[in-house]
Amino acid sequence: MTLFPRKLFNDALPTIVLKHQLYSLHNDKTLVDKEVNKLREQAELLMFQLGFDTEAFGLTFISDYKAKVLAGQEGKVTRATVERFLEKLLTSSCTDLSFSKEKMLREFLFTDSEITQLVKSGVLTVRDAGSWWLSIPNSGKFTKYFIQGRKAVLGMVKKSKYSEVLQAELEERRTIAQVKFNMKYHIHDIVGADLVESIPTTSGALLRFVES
Amino acid sequence: MLGFLTARQAGLDDPLRLRRAESTRRVFGLELNPDRDVDRIHGNGINTIDIEAVEGRYMLSGGSDGIIVVYDLENYSGKPQYTCKAVCTVGRSSRYVHKFSVETVQWYPYDTGMFVSSSFDKTMKVWDTETLKPAEVFEFEGNVYSHHLSPIARKHSLIAVGTKYPKVQLCDLKSGSRSHVLQGHRAEVLSVRWSPRYEHILATASADSKVKVWDVRRASGSLLDLDQHKGDKSKASTEAVNTAHNGRVNGLCFTGDGLYILTTGTDDRMRLWNSATGENTLVNYGKVCNESRKKLQFAVSRGCSPEFVFVPCGSSVAVYALHTGELVTMLRGHYNNVDCCEFHPDYQELYSGGKDCNILAWVPVLHASAVEDESNSSNKDAASQPSVNPALQDAWSSDED
Repeated sequence: MTLFPRKLFNDALPTIVLKHQLYSLHNDKTLVDKEVNKLREQAELLMFQLGFDTEAFGLTFISDYKAKVLAGQEGKVTRATVERFLEKLLTSSCTDLSFSKEKMLREFLFTDSEITQLVKSGVLTVRDAGSWWLSIPNSGKFTKYFIQGRKAVLGMVKKSKYSEVLQAELEERRTIAQVKFNMKYHIHDIVGADLVESIPTTSGALLRFVES
Repeated sequence: MLGFLTARQAGLDDPLRLRRAESTRRVFGLELNPDRDVDRIHGNGINTIDIEAVEGRYMLSGGSDGIIVVYDLENYSGKPQYTCKAVCTVGRSSRYVHKFSVETVQWYPYDTGMFVSSSFDKTMKVWDTETLKPAEVFEFEGNVYSHHLSPIARKHSLIAVGTKYPKVQLCDLKSGSRSHVLQGHRAEVLSVRWSPRYEHILATASADSKVKVWDVRRASGSLLDLDQHKGDKSKASTEAVNTAHNGRVNGLCFTGDGLYILTTGTDDRMRLWNSATGENTLVNYGKVCNESRKKLQFAVSRGCSPEFVFVPCGSSVAVYALHTGELVTMLRGHYNNVDCCEFHPDYQELYSGGKDCNILAWVPVLHASAVEDESNSSNKDAASQPSVNPALQDAWSSDED
């Protein structure tokens, strides 16, 4: 699954995969959903709302996430709070995407100032007044490059004659400076998100842009 | 197939198993048949079709021009090439025809002597099929999007009507008056459906993204709201409460046994719900394109082993397996958007109608049709052609001949 680690961020981020990329790898979407939920229940996988699309969920392994977050907190004042938060997260519920204020105060016994510390450290991002999304610290760069790369790859498919391109040919093409990630990462993303349609042909898979 | 037949003969298999396996195989072979045509009467798009439940012989269709047509689907001509003729029409020349587009038509569930149609001219008419005159006219304040008569009701004869106003109106067929109103929705009600299992359970879908399940005998509000996030508040925004979709919900259908509800919405998703608990079964059908501003009529197969759902998707009909969510095939053939489709459970045929004014019949093709020798209608090759089965040929002869 995690064939696409990117050393781009100087190892500061855990490997993130989007849920719809898994749809492109397997045929059965319901099965993928069920397995992902099972892994989340077993406290091995974490799901995040990435923010640019209501349906785009990012997945990371818990061990990865913990390691990177704690590494990022070295020598910072907020370290203790973050550690406590991670422990609470693992023991109680891995399945939540967001937290509301009452939950933080009652269940996790965090005070307001501690919540502010968590937001500063990047583990929580503000969603509404009084509720927060679970997030990955320093993931802003990831999101930016991801959206840029997605637009660029989609543009490449759209500009081709008849708005379609053989998948093998797309992988061969030189990625322009905008596209920072591996081409395959982006291809799985656009196929899984139904932005292009993958059609089997005698010369391999053909990706055709879907008008919407 | 032969294996199933011998097992059934020997009593090794339940008789239902052969029927289910064969129905499923036929659904997999659905294709546009060049031999079967439906008479083209409508001058404008077709909004709704209904096949009667008693014999499966007559089909009603309602169009955007206000015209209602009754077709005879049975093929008694003995030839494979058959056009389903229109038996009668309520055309523009009739005094009682609807003024604007007909949105829903439905046969009376117990016989074909009566049918009900509702339209954008804010009326719902109950027609006598013999004379083609309305026996009863119900008037409403807003455009009527959808109505439904319960197919199993014995104790009541209520018609549920969904209009532009958020209140769901219930009309009584026996007395001809309004019965009561179900309050709870906040925007126009796009689709209403009675459960095929319990005669008092009604499901309604509305443009406010909610789907509510009601028991009509209960005076206070709905029984449940279908919630797409399964109570997982983290996925929804804090203000959203119990929405079934992220947009207007415009298609609603119960499965044949009444255990599941399928809904489609303008957020391009289709969801399967457990009808007893209202739980989202989280089957992922992928992107089911849906741009319709009115209701979408889709159909679920009956009597097959993995049930199929036929959804109009742009200008083609998508066939999905019900419980796994995989796309089986896309039936392409219409020239324009498809608005409605209906499954004929006895012959495993699908009829779909759309904006191109055509009703297309999709018939299962199981054996390759013989290319040579098509001119003789020889009966020894009858079994290998999608044509008249010798068992169906008329073998009655009079004593006097």
